[in-house]
Amino acid sequence: MAFVNQETREIQLKIVYYGPALCGKTTNLETIHRMIRDDHKGDFMSVDTAKDRTLFFDFIPLDADVIEGFRTSFQMYTVPGQVMYNTIRRIVLQGVDGIVFVADSQWPEMAANVESFRNLEENLAAQGLALDDIPYVLQYNKRDLPSVAPEHYLEFLLNNRDRRRPSFSSVATNGGGVFETLNMIARLVLHRFVRETGGGSDSDDFDVV
Amino acid sequence: MTYELLAGDVEKLRRVLVSLLDQSEADSCLLCDQAGHVLAHENISKQTDPLLISALGAGVFAATRELARMLGEDEFSTVLHQGLKRSILIGSANEEILLVVLFSGEERTGLVKLYAPASAKAVRRIFEEITARGARGPASVDRNFILKDTGSIFGEGR
Repeated sequence: MAFVNQETREIQLKIVYYGPALCGKTTNLETIHRMIRDDHKGDFMSVDTAKDRTLFFDFIPLDADVIEGFRTSFQMYTVPGQVMYNTIRRIVLQGVDGIVFVADSQWPEMAANVESFRNLEENLAAQGLALDDIPYVLQYNKRDLPSVAPEHYLEFLLNNRDRRRPSFSSVATNGGGVFETLNMIARLVLHRFVRETGGGSDSDDFDVV
Repeated sequence: MTYELLAGDVEKLRRVLVSLLDQSEADSCLLCDQAGHVLAHENISKQTDPLLISALGAGVFAATRELARMLGEDEFSTVLHQGLKRSILIGSANEEILLVVLFSGEERTGLVKLYAPASAKAVRRIFEEITARGARGPASVDRNFILKDTGSIFGEGR
């Protein structure tokens, strides 16, 4: 849920990175934090376990100068991917404006990808939201590893809906595809925001046909 | 969905926060929503990022709300984390909005617990007014959000 503070001329938007355990959600945010220009970013915060697995969420605030006269703050979250932390995933999804679904491209992870995608839809439905009504993009991560499924197979598996969404190949550890994904979800969320608040832009411009 | 605070709303909320700080002798306080957005804050030090406090505060309160439901309660109305030097109290103003109070010294715990509920109630009333006027405020407010070039919003490089 976007928030506008007319006094401070600030707009706050929330983007969540979702996906199965160990698919690279945290790596995406770490890479963004490491590589992004200093004037765009705040502190990186991670609530994780002793084994560096995400327990609650990772978080970084990103600032952008994209709406005239307003400071736009994107609040970037990850969810914990492990199956047992579903309640926490639902909590982190509250008030979400845009989603990046990070899939693990390795063949053995296909079932986990599908299960996580279904879980995303269920958790949104529990809040009265439908995935098709929310800006989201897909990221097929770990493309540098052996034994990865072809992209067209991942598209068939995860992007085979009435409205196909933008998708990106990535190697989050070295930054490949990370900023393309980030910039696209930011664009989609911004266009949705402007459209909802009475502007003229339409996020449908970015649908894949 | 989008919601907005106008300058007058922020001023009213600030007055509530200032009054709470005066009465309770707390160090600082802020209002956030369950998504973790910062709505207003008062006297937050430069070393404390209100965005981080909001993100964690909203997460902690939501997790506590789930615990309450598991135990058959609608919610625990406040969460208190007490440290040796500094403490934090999080209370709900309504379903969406949280009041977060940071304070020092064990002796102030009672004052904060005493005055925070009344402040939360005052915040709730302000948000009832905001809700009553509808999602959109007066037409005179500038809502002509004009996008700049969104081709590459975030660039790499330090």
